[in-house]
Amino acid sequence: MPLLDIRNLQLEFGTGKDALRAVDGVSFTIAEGETLCLVGESGCGKSVSALSIARLVPTPPARYVGGEILLNGRDVLKMDQRELRSIRGGVVSYIFQEPSASLNPVFRVGNQIKESLKLHRPQFATDEEVIRLLKLVGIPAPESRIRDYPHQMSGGMQQRIMIAMALASEPKLLVADEPTTALDVTIQAQILELLRELKQRLRMSILLITHNLGIVGDIADRVAVMYAGQIVELSPARALLQRPLHPYTQALMNSVPQLGHELDRLQAIPGNVPNLGQFPSGCRFHPRCPKAQSDCSQKAPELVEVEPGRWVRCPYWK
Amino acid sequence: MGTFILKRLLHMIPILLGVSLLTFLLMSLTPGGYLQSLKQNPQISPETVEKLLAKFHLDKPWYVQYCYWLKNVAVGDFGYSVQYKISATDLITARLWNTFLLSFFATVVAWFVAVPLGIWAAVNKDSLVDRACSLIAFAGLSIPEILLALLALMFAAATGWFPIGGAQGSLYDLMTPTERFWNRAHHLVLPVLVLAASELAGIMRQMRSNLLDTLRAEYVTAARAKGLPEGWVIYKHALRNAINPLLTIFGYSLAHLLSGAFIVENIMAWPGLGRLTIEAYSAKDSMLVVDSVVMATALLIVGNFVADLMLAWSDPRIRLKE
Repeated sequence: MPLLDIRNLQLEFGTGKDALRAVDGVSFTIAEGETLCLVGESGCGKSVSALSIARLVPTPPARYVGGEILLNGRDVLKMDQRELRSIRGGVVSYIFQEPSASLNPVFRVGNQIKESLKLHRPQFATDEEVIRLLKLVGIPAPESRIRDYPHQMSGGMQQRIMIAMALASEPKLLVADEPTTALDVTIQAQILELLRELKQRLRMSILLITHNLGIVGDIADRVAVMYAGQIVELSPARALLQRPLHPYTQALMNSVPQLGHELDRLQAIPGNVPNLGQFPSGCRFHPRCPKAQSDCSQKAPELVEVEPGRWVRCPYWK
Repeated sequence: MGTFILKRLLHMIPILLGVSLLTFLLMSLTPGGYLQSLKQNPQISPETVEKLLAKFHLDKPWYVQYCYWLKNVAVGDFGYSVQYKISATDLITARLWNTFLLSFFATVVAWFVAVPLGIWAAVNKDSLVDRACSLIAFAGLSIPEILLALLALMFAAATGWFPIGGAQGSLYDLMTPTERFWNRAHHLVLPVLVLAASELAGIMRQMRSNLLDTLRAEYVTAARAKGLPEGWVIYKHALRNAINPLLTIFGYSLAHLLSGAFIVENIMAWPGLGRLTIEAYSAKDSMLVVDSVVMATALLIVGNFVADLMLAWSDPRIRLKE
């Protein structure tokens, strides 16, 4: 049994005729110790899918229309508040894009970490444990840092604090929602390095959300590419990077500069991501797709396993 | 911290100097004066008036008068009220205390009602409670204090439950200390409620929108993601941040309270600073006008200063610059 098994998740914002479907039939699994990267442009539904794992999307305005989110075999969508609180932090922890916005500005960082300890490992809610966690995430002189306020730290430090806070409860799954987007490039590399190291040391599963394909090769075991609320390609990371199958993944790869492949111009994907509620008929990517055929606008393709472990939502992938 | 407080207090001096100078200038530009009007009284000889004018330096140009005033104020003497014929210092002290009582209790009532209501409305956004609160708030914001004060007087007159105006009963001097206390409290009720009502609406709306903002903040999602119970998320993480902007507003609301007190004091015959200022102005008791304006300014500055200190204490991102 995989640690996380999302089956046909459907989520809408609003109700009735105005309802906008942000997540439409998303399914993926994460095994214990596995790292899955969820890749896609802004607004494709990747953050909402990830927040759904601990049911953190506010309802209303959102509404779960269908599907299951099995965490350790239990459906998160059917849990009561008590059970939800115990899995939040207890089984799945989050780190977010803006560390400066995700730490509460009026509390000392040590206390914010201790709060997590009190909830999930009360016997360890001590300064010593907080200092151990700060050392684990590579904060220099942790003894003097626990009484700092978030604004006294740099962005990279703040993100390390967020990671320490997420690890404090010893979760089985760490969801990192664009954890490096707000940081500059050298700090990005340090944080990724830290995540990779922690993953090995703590044998933790990671769901990493990113719009940066460059990160994928560094850390991911498998990759799910999302477009307009659907997964369009799901594949082992190495295979996907070497030979992307879906036209959208291929277009994404062509828009990233690569060492060794000297290009005069990077290729932008024509057009824009369709807005919620204005998805084209048939295949949602067909208006921007270089390989579109005449029937792409009529028939909505299914996600099909075309090679062992490789799933593609495009009948013309060859 | 100590240096900060000292510096802020020193900053009060130029502000007070400026305000007093300006008030002095404006008063001197208006025609006539209290003693000038005595000249029209056939029972008072012109020589007596001249003597009085000379005694209070009112025959000198305004800037000379100002210097005399300043010299006296420096040693704690606020001059002499020609209208009341007593020391302005005593007069002002008594009136300042009354205005302070009125504003203080109005603030306490307004904040203790408005903050919980605002929180309640935000947590139950769009519910019946929230809508009822909005309705009350808009009513409170749109009914002028004048009307509210008049309604309160009508209420007092119709029911007889509260005294109609004034700060103490006519037999006050004969009462025991306990009776005096209850008598004053009884007189305070209506003016405080009228003044608090107009304050309340604004603070409540502000509290509601601040809390709604912080409830959308990412650290609130992060707090939920830790597994904190919803009550902790709202009352610890969100509320602690939503309170900070209100502390800044506290300073402003003090200004509003003082100007509101002017109106309420006049209609409800509350012997406070506002009423004194207006009486002094209409009697052309210029020294007293300057004194009361300076006092009101001082009250305002101190209030803002207290608000700043509270904010610095509450929000670690605010550093008191020395």
